[in-house]
Amino acid sequence: MTNRLMPNFERVWSQNYKFVCLVMLALAISLVAVTQVRADDEIKVGSIFDLTGGLNIYGIQQSQALHLAVNNINDNGGVLGQQLQVVEYDAQSELAKFTQYTNTIILRDQIDVLFAGLTSSSREAMRPIVRKNNIPYFYSALYEGGACDKQTFITGASASQQMSVLIEWAIKEYGPKIYIMAPDYNFGTISAHWIDHYAKEYGGEVVGSDFLALTVTDYSPTIQKIQAAKPDFVAALPVGANQTGFLEQFAAAGLKEKMGIVSTNYGSGNQQVVVSPDAGEGIVASQEYFMWIDEPNNEPFKAKWEAAYSLDEPIISEAADVWNAVHIWAKAVEVAGTTDSDAVIAALESGISFDGPNGTVTMQPGSHHLKQNIYIVRGNRTHGFDVIQTFESVAPSFEDQVCDLIANPDTAEHFTPADL
Amino acid sequence: MELDFLATLLLSSLSSAAILLIATVGLAVMFGLMGVINLAHGEFIMFGAYATLFATQIGIPYPLAIIFATIVTAIFGGIVELLIIRRLYGRIFDTLLATWGLSLVLYQSAVLIFGTVTPGIGLPISNIQIGDYSLSVYLLFLILVAVVLIGSLYWLLTKTSYGITARAAIQDRETASAVGVESARINTMTFALGSGLAGFAGAILLPAIPATPNMGFAFVIKAFLAVVAAGPVTLTGTVAVGSTLGMVGNITASFWTSVVGDIVFFLLTITILRIFPLGISGRWRMKL
Amino acid sequence: MKDSTSSISSLIRNFRLRSSDPSIFIALIFALTLAISSFWIDPYLAYVGTSWVIFGLLGLSLDLVWGRGGLLSLGQTSFYGIGGYVGSIAAINFAPLTGNSLIWALPFGAISGTILAALVGWFIFYGRMGSLQSTILTYTFTLIVWTITLSFTTEIGDAVVGGDNGMSNIPGFVLGFGEKASSLSPNMMFLTVVVISAIVYLIVAFIVRSPFGLVIDSIRLDAVKAELLGLDIRLFQTLMFMLAGAIAGIAGALFGAWANYLNPSIFSVQEALLVPIYVLVGGLGTLIGPFVGALTVGGLSFWLGGGVIGGQTTLVMGACLIVLVLFLRKGIVGGIQALFARIFDDLEAKDRLSQQTSQVRVNLNLLEKLQTSTNVQRDATLKTINTSKRFGGVLAVDSVSQNFAPGKVRCIIGPNGAGKSSYLKTCTGAYEPDSGTVLYSSQDITKINPFERVKLGLGIKMQTAQVFDELSVRQNLWIAGYGNGLNKERADQVSDEMLDVLNMREISTRQASTLSHGEQQWLDIGMVLCLAPSVILLDEPAAGMSKEEKRQLSELVRLMARTATVVVVDHDMDFVRTLDAEITVLHQGAVFAQAEIDELRKDERILDIYLGRRQSVTDF
Repeated sequence: MTNRLMPNFERVWSQNYKFVCLVMLALAISLVAVTQVRADDEIKVGSIFDLTGGLNIYGIQQSQALHLAVNNINDNGGVLGQQLQVVEYDAQSELAKFTQYTNTIILRDQIDVLFAGLTSSSREAMRPIVRKNNIPYFYSALYEGGACDKQTFITGASASQQMSVLIEWAIKEYGPKIYIMAPDYNFGTISAHWIDHYAKEYGGEVVGSDFLALTVTDYSPTIQKIQAAKPDFVAALPVGANQTGFLEQFAAAGLKEKMGIVSTNYGSGNQQVVVSPDAGEGIVASQEYFMWIDEPNNEPFKAKWEAAYSLDEPIISEAADVWNAVHIWAKAVEVAGTTDSDAVIAALESGISFDGPNGTVTMQPGSHHLKQNIYIVRGNRTHGFDVIQTFESVAPSFEDQVCDLIANPDTAEHFTPADL
Repeated sequence: MELDFLATLLLSSLSSAAILLIATVGLAVMFGLMGVINLAHGEFIMFGAYATLFATQIGIPYPLAIIFATIVTAIFGGIVELLIIRRLYGRIFDTLLATWGLSLVLYQSAVLIFGTVTPGIGLPISNIQIGDYSLSVYLLFLILVAVVLIGSLYWLLTKTSYGITARAAIQDRETASAVGVESARINTMTFALGSGLAGFAGAILLPAIPATPNMGFAFVIKAFLAVVAAGPVTLTGTVAVGSTLGMVGNITASFWTSVVGDIVFFLLTITILRIFPLGISGRWRMKL
Repeated sequence: MKDSTSSISSLIRNFRLRSSDPSIFIALIFALTLAISSFWIDPYLAYVGTSWVIFGLLGLSLDLVWGRGGLLSLGQTSFYGIGGYVGSIAAINFAPLTGNSLIWALPFGAISGTILAALVGWFIFYGRMGSLQSTILTYTFTLIVWTITLSFTTEIGDAVVGGDNGMSNIPGFVLGFGEKASSLSPNMMFLTVVVISAIVYLIVAFIVRSPFGLVIDSIRLDAVKAELLGLDIRLFQTLMFMLAGAIAGIAGALFGAWANYLNPSIFSVQEALLVPIYVLVGGLGTLIGPFVGALTVGGLSFWLGGGVIGGQTTLVMGACLIVLVLFLRKGIVGGIQALFARIFDDLEAKDRLSQQTSQVRVNLNLLEKLQTSTNVQRDATLKTINTSKRFGGVLAVDSVSQNFAPGKVRCIIGPNGAGKSSYLKTCTGAYEPDSGTVLYSSQDITKINPFERVKLGLGIKMQTAQVFDELSVRQNLWIAGYGNGLNKERADQVSDEMLDVLNMREISTRQASTLSHGEQQWLDIGMVLCLAPSVILLDEPAAGMSKEEKRQLSELVRLMARTATVVVVDHDMDFVRTLDAEITVLHQGAVFAQAEIDELRKDERILDIYLGRRQSVTDF
């Protein structure tokens, strides 16, 4: 085609010429504007949580707990005599933002430690970056377990840790037949594996399971399948607000009188507030922290929280996990006498422990997971829980078994039960 | 396979279809009578749910709260039409994107106003027993609601002067405006009607699905697919496609898992669109 | 050897030909600015900026499909994600062998994106799906991929695809070869991505300026007309979709290398809807807009995520989107273009000056000469046997049998609703008849597509003037000459000749939308003539023409009928009378009468039909 066929495009583009010059100018100005070099000698604490978007149910409290802990440490004289300074980014519940901000927070803000993430995928996105830059990283949420990396420390409970006590208790309480309702991704499938594992260990049996997409709102097929399988209790692992609808529909179909219902994550996002008293009463949950537990350090923690924020929304376990994480790190820095990563990691691997709101927690040197209490609680009619039993210092047995970062410091894996 | 299982399967799949229809008709009305796909439909449902919640919290009994929520959402929809949708007539994809923007704004506003968790009102604990199985009465009640809803909508669109003018306007815009139909006013009313239906859906489904800022997302995807697969004859088409898709999804989920149910739902939609490029009712003679 | 030198020299010639077009230079300058900046910006900004450029590339893929092709696809992220996964799996397994990771990631990403897009494109375009349905279908496709990948786990060689936990250990940007090769620094990574994006942009810019690009433009402007020019629009659209899929796949592979990690959230609804935002913010159809948009949106959300406004990112983004759609319809690029146009440009005024209506004077002698010089099939006929078409309960075409042959103009008349247009559409292929047969000479064409009929030798002009609004007069004719045979030389020659025939040389650069109604009709007729058809179907060709124009048209039609089969559908009896034609009268879908004009004028019943007198009709 000859050029004269294109006068139209030419005209359009000849206007672009001026435009592009303008863009270049704007770009140059903005590049200069953001190129500000910051230098100071404060200790920098990095924080990336989902403050907006679908996951902010957890992210906001995680961030609040971080600020509360940092203020608490600063009020008591800081770390190594220096005040802590928080550098915070909002990951907006988007995974790509974690990658982006982790690099920014390390390259630009030059943080000394990172507290970040809720979902396993966010942790997996950040893990290679903190590893490359050798920055201690704390992941504070309950999860399916198995992460193993020199720089990564986990203060939430792993699935096997919670399941081991919960399944044993439930089989004794209700009987051996178990039905599993779980979200259809890693957390659900791996948790289901542990249910099966501990069911066999304690003489139980999984009689059926349903894995649900996160967008399901209508649970009648699941409820139907549960009735066909006739279990003694249901292990329900609802994720996100939609899946709390399952508990309503489960109760409305009259199944709560016929069987027990237990969960390892019910309550971790304040689901008990959303669920109506009729549906929530009697649901059994197991986690490393509940606001209602009776521990010496819980009352002062709650008081501080109430003073800073409010207790209108109950404190979730992830908040306690972050609180513990910050204090354990601060303790390790004091022990090491420096914020140098290698020294801090070595201190963290020295069997360091901390008296948190959920009792004494101890960092396992090999697996970088916490040995901590697991509480079994039962939902009451006031959107809260009553503690039924406390299992003291439960070890993260699976992680301790597969992950030994003292012996194999180069391990960087996410183990699944298949690796056993 | 026992008889009681089959009976409950039938009833529960009917209730699935009913939930889908209740959540979809508002969208179908907007699409059918205005040609607008409202991506904020899910957030309108959420709006209705929170309005109901608010009403019950200040002491209004639940049945009245449903009416309150429907009206409030309808008014809100009317305002949205006047401020945004009106300026985008005939630009269907721009409308799509603007309403998506609206859905983000509504979502985040809900988070700001209500927080991320609010107490639900719960399903009435009453159920019927069929052999070994028990079913929630409320879910069965929803089947009745869906039937009545579709019936009254049919009446509204065929027997009232609004309905007749609205349908006339869609069938022949030029003639309609020539004989003095104020299409702008009709459109505002249609959008308000669609929004009101969304609000109603949020209100009536609230016991089964607690109000959360992102509750809309779970509904809308299937609602969009049902409406588009239904094609231009929205009411009849949506009832046909919506109930079929809802029931098939439920039945596959009963035999396999809900993920398989979802995938079958999606694949069925694709198949329908492959066979009927303009939706299943693309060549139907009836107009409603 | 000789082949390659000649192709290189033609490439150079082409480049020189187009070098007067500044857009490529602008893009190069733009890329160069970014590239140079990569040497001094902060590493963290280079790192983050890299992702924005990658998103811009993804936006480019949508801009091609949407801005050029006219289909709003919400499936680009699925090609992007699959391209990312496949490219990264290849890189994980093969990069240790070579060092360089991109030589594996990019081709694998591009190919997988292309294949997937071919599949989806085949579904949409070969299914002739409606535009809204297509958008929703692409959206559904993305949702399916998302749902499946959330729980899909597998191991392919060293790559572990771990469902929602994603795939880790993806090699970064490694350009060197051998074992010592290491990942690039953030700044070099930024440079690499800018260079790759610039290359992709250049390729797209060349393609958009090629005949292929003009075909894509014309399909967007009027798909029906494009098909009536003999273009297999399904093929072109699918090819365009595949190209976009390849670009998305490359972007995905780059993203995998950037993040060192992939997870199904790449397929999420949020991601899918972000892409149209990049395109809209930058400017739809501008090709450079998506990059501007991605840089703007990326920068904005980066700034907001830093806590500038208390973390209300979602709220601000949503509000921005609404404002953007309402007030800045053409995006940043388009908006600034319009601003510049208003301040500096008086091209519009020039256009208006040149808008004095030129009197069309058809050069029939030239046409006749052309007609005799082309070697089209001379004795082609069109025949329908008992063709019927039913819509619901209405029998629009009632077993019509006709045999059209060259020599004499054939006219089909009848009152409104007599089924003239429906009958013609069964001949053109717009409707498939419920029963009966349509024959081109002896070939059965009942079920074949319109473009295939055009390729056989049908020339079709529909009722309203169908021209490509945004293209110039010359481009309109050129595409008509190109459609049948895809031969550039022929298109150049034919369009040039037709400008003389239509006497439109002076207005050849004007946009078709600025032509008067009559001129558009002539241009449309000219486009049909460019096809050198042997069977010509004209639906109300004289509508909107002046008396003098009608006279010329009548002459032209009679001239064409000497060598070709010409069928004219019209109810303008004054015009029909001048054609000296054999006339078929349709009534209620069926053939009512067939005779010379003079005989028909004596037939009372015909008048009855036109005047609505019922008696004779019921007799019949």
